[in-house]
Amino acid sequence: MTPAVRRVGAPRPVRVCAGAGGRPLEVDGSEIVAVRESWLVEDRWWSEAPLRRRYWEVVTLAGGDLVVYRDLVGGGWFAHR
Amino acid sequence: MVVAVILPRFPLAIAAGGRAALAEGPLALAPEPGRAPLVGEVSAAAEALGVAPGMKISEALARAPALKLIAADPVAVADAWEKVLVRLESVGAEVEDGGVGLACFEAGGLGGLHGGSLDAVVKATRSALKLPARIGAGPSRFCAVVAASQARSRRPSVVNGADQLSGAPVTLLAHNPATAKLPEQLARFGITALGQLAALPRDSVADRFGRAGIAAWELAHGNDGPLRPRRPSEPIDETLTLTESASGPQLASALELLVDRLLARSELGGRTLRAATLSAHLAEGGTWRERVVFREPLSDAFRIRTALSLRLALLPAPAQALRLAAEQFGPAAPAAEALFDDAKFRRAGRLSEAIGQLRALAGPQAALRVLLAEPDSRIPERRVVLTPYER
Repeated sequence: MTPAVRRVGAPRPVRVCAGAGGRPLEVDGSEIVAVRESWLVEDRWWSEAPLRRRYWEVVTLAGGDLVVYRDLVGGGWFAHR
Repeated sequence: MVVAVILPRFPLAIAAGGRAALAEGPLALAPEPGRAPLVGEVSAAAEALGVAPGMKISEALARAPALKLIAADPVAVADAWEKVLVRLESVGAEVEDGGVGLACFEAGGLGGLHGGSLDAVVKATRSALKLPARIGAGPSRFCAVVAASQARSRRPSVVNGADQLSGAPVTLLAHNPATAKLPEQLARFGITALGQLAALPRDSVADRFGRAGIAAWELAHGNDGPLRPRRPSEPIDETLTLTESASGPQLASALELLVDRLLARSELGGRTLRAATLSAHLAEGGTWRERVVFREPLSDAFRIRTALSLRLALLPAPAQALRLAAEQFGPAAPAAEALFDDAKFRRAGRLSEAIGQLRALAGPQAALRVLLAEPDSRIPERRVVLTPYER
């Protein structure tokens, strides 16, 4: 049987508390102290599985740098690293 | 005695979704994407309207305006044909693959298995096939093929030699690759029956038609070469479903991934690859298939990839899925000695051995390397994938 492709950096679900405008305030219990950048990715709009994500690069209180996104099609928050 | 099995209009029946569809009206196989605009195999209804295989689409539609073109599906046809060959082998036969729709085997050794008579062998073949087939027998391959082409779908036919071949049309020479182009040339000389060809002096036929003419003359006398049965082997293949239609660099990365995965399969057992088949499901519908025979048995991922990528460049449209299947195997790759005592070669040898042991313990996914699949993708998880480590 052919195994599935093993991707590096596959998104994993995270718990996010979001504030006004969708800005993350807390990721998996860690408080967010700064938002470094935010951007929107829209792709595969021509296909049956369109992709819309609002990305946030944030810094936690402990100094960690995280990239999280909200899936604007299926809902839910995910992190890449 | 050689037994020939013919499954008429096999590629068309598979592409149309079954034999029942062939009776619905005039059908023809549409040309494969990127190939010349000529119709492929045609149904009996289309043939009755004057449509013939190899005809230009415009001419075919002019002759039969109701003609329905069916998208060719070479991948499904190859899979279905492989199943047919395996079913024939299940009766104990050593089967020669004469191309899609034709298979031959020697019945001599099967008598003891199925009751001693040719009829019993044919009956066993029919019950294993589970498909309507024309079955014929004869002392040589060509006699058996002629017999099968004359057989009714439920009754086998036997052609015992040149005498019984004489009335058969020369178009049957098309079943032999060496004489496939001769029927048209013979027809121009008014030679339409094999008996007419057999009556000509051998030297005259050789002078006019060369090597192919001699082969045709021998066939018309009932003489044919020995069967070359295929070696049944366990299919080893890897398939990659592409999240969206891929072409160019994405496809090259997909090929790299497939080659690494195939070489990491434990069934390969260190053997080299002699031939492989690359196939794809196209985004615009239909399938594409290319068989690649390597100049020498290969086990090196880079050289296999290089050979395959030349064929992948012929892909006529973006692909949704790519499949790589190992078809023929060579001997196990010998452990080549380096010409000079080089630490680099020794290290590579030790690494290879360690990976081999690791895979034997933990499976093909045990040692992986990073492959840049779509480095410029806007979606982070699509940029990098893990693939089995191959030097």
